[in-house]
Amino acid sequence: MAINVDTVYKTVLLILNKEQRGYITPDEFNKTATQVQLDIFEQYFDDLNQQLRVPQADFDYADRQMNIDEKISYFKVQGNCDYNTTGSYWNLPTTAVGNLNLNIIYDNSPLGNGEAYFYRLGTVTYIPLTGYPVELQRLQRSDFYTIDKSPLTRPTEDFPCYLYEGNRLLIKPTSISSGSTVEASMIRKPLDINWAFQANGPGGSYIWDSSNSQNFELEQSEQVNVILRILQYSGIVIRDPQVIQAASAEVAQNEANKKG
Amino acid sequence: MSLLTENNRQYYEGAQGFRGDGTTTKFTTTFDTDLKWYAAERTDESYGKNNFKLYTSANGIPGSWSEVVADYTVSGNTIEFTTAPVDDLYIVVQLKKLDGGEYGNNTTEKAFGSIVEDNYGSYAYTELNDVINNFLVAYVGAGKLIPSVKRSDIIFHAKRAMQEFSYDTLKSVNSQELTVPHNLSVVLPQDYVNYVNFYWVDDQGVQHVIMPTNNLTSSPYSVPLQDDQGVPTQDNFDNNITGTSIIEDRWNSNYMKDNVIDDTIAGWEYYYGWPEFGYGQLFGLDTQYANSNGYFTINDREGKISFSANLVDKIVIFEYISDGLSTNLKTKVPKLAEEAMYAYISHAVIASRINQPEYIVQRLKREASAKLRNAKIRLSNLKINEIVQVMRGKSKWIKH
Repeated sequence: MAINVDTVYKTVLLILNKEQRGYITPDEFNKTATQVQLDIFEQYFDDLNQQLRVPQADFDYADRQMNIDEKISYFKVQGNCDYNTTGSYWNLPTTAVGNLNLNIIYDNSPLGNGEAYFYRLGTVTYIPLTGYPVELQRLQRSDFYTIDKSPLTRPTEDFPCYLYEGNRLLIKPTSISSGSTVEASMIRKPLDINWAFQANGPGGSYIWDSSNSQNFELEQSEQVNVILRILQYSGIVIRDPQVIQAASAEVAQNEANKKG
Repeated sequence: MSLLTENNRQYYEGAQGFRGDGTTTKFTTTFDTDLKWYAAERTDESYGKNNFKLYTSANGIPGSWSEVVADYTVSGNTIEFTTAPVDDLYIVVQLKKLDGGEYGNNTTEKAFGSIVEDNYGSYAYTELNDVINNFLVAYVGAGKLIPSVKRSDIIFHAKRAMQEFSYDTLKSVNSQELTVPHNLSVVLPQDYVNYVNFYWVDDQGVQHVIMPTNNLTSSPYSVPLQDDQGVPTQDNFDNNITGTSIIEDRWNSNYMKDNVIDDTIAGWEYYYGWPEFGYGQLFGLDTQYANSNGYFTINDREGKISFSANLVDKIVIFEYISDGLSTNLKTKVPKLAEEAMYAYISHAVIASRINQPEYIVQRLKREASAKLRNAKIRLSNLKINEIVQVMRGKSKWIKH
């Protein structure tokens, strides 16, 4: 699934070093690679929105909506919300299950093992004792008040709603409270890239330490895109406009092909 | 996938059986009706609110069943015993039934209620909940006419459709059997929207149509007390003082009071309403008052229905329409009108949305109108053989 960080780093170095143009250190690579990964990741959501407005071909591998959703799906996690009795609100899940079992971190504290930052909230679901799970409707604060005023739209346990503010969920009807089960699906943030090394190679050269490295979490199909975008940033690092231009032209062409 | 989820026993008898194995403590029912459980002990005052009873038997033979009144809990549709029922023990969950079911040995043990009967014929209907969910699944999404919509909008339009359809399309005529008291008034039903028909019923159980008073009389909406100048007077709180209606008193004590409708035969040869004033008489007949069966009027001031004095102590049937939403989202929609409801919601959503091409709005409007017409025809229950039977009397004079 993931793109091997060593493959990317060595490919980047290979391209950059042609004609002795320059070199980027592992630290520079890690920072630019993380930047690139986030850049590509964030673009998925805009691309998906764009593709949702375009009729798609219902054909294996050619449906762009499906393809983008597939790229995002690796980062989808789901967990149970906790009810705060004092404040009568629900906290977002602190542990979540996806491709990994993770503790979800909502502030800026440094990540430990098995932890990931929260990125976006997806669907909130109420699990009643009988019947099927019910998706909660997300409302803005103004709607959250006015929806109660019409007897026709007033939330019920069959059709509940929620307000999302400050990583908290306020849910109506209030009968969904302590003792109820509310689940939230979320997107977690990709983990930071790390090309770890040990400086014990020939002549003190860096040897890749696979066990301490963090690969790209993006799909394999993004490898070319990742390398090109890192090259863009690398061109800035080594102050070579030719690298920037070549990489930018390639990225632009790929983008045009994807969305044309 | 079959839409029928209950087996024959669950539907007809309202019962589901299990067998103990000495280890299993949880048993989950699969009725269409969810279990409602408040208490396990008969001594608990909430016990009567349970919508089922639980019985066990060592051999399953009639007369050997005993009601379980302790040591179990219910969560959702799952019954959990405190200790696992012994191996091969027969366990039955009986939903409440008009005849009490087959398992209780006496009236205390029987499961009296109407939960099973409420489910009879339910296949002809779908729940409003399901209509909303079906619509969201089939009509909303990327690449569809409605790419996204707030669920509360769908709920609103679905409920409005239910209300509109209830007034003239659905067979949602409710009725009450009432006795006209000596004050000649009964309170409007809690879910009343408009009346359909009133009948009084004679000793043979035959219905006789009661007509509205029309212009004969009416109930005033307010009755302010006036001073000698005709100006309404006020109380200490600066509000008008109101009194009782003289019009209503006069109507209630008019000549009809002494001419209570005959219980056995009510025919034209008997007393017509108000002979002194010529209403309903054979000569100079005003047909709207040509009615020997008495009159009713809706008293909006008091929220009551008032009857004419000749109907005192009579049994009346009151048919009225509601809006179909008086209970909850379990409201039933006839399947014959389901498609019309989808079309109504589609049109309502698109018509209230900005920048929609007018031809799309018009297309949906026509579709909604056509499907509503279809639903009306279907629900009007016209059967060809019944029409033939009616038309066999076509050579008779049409009297009204």
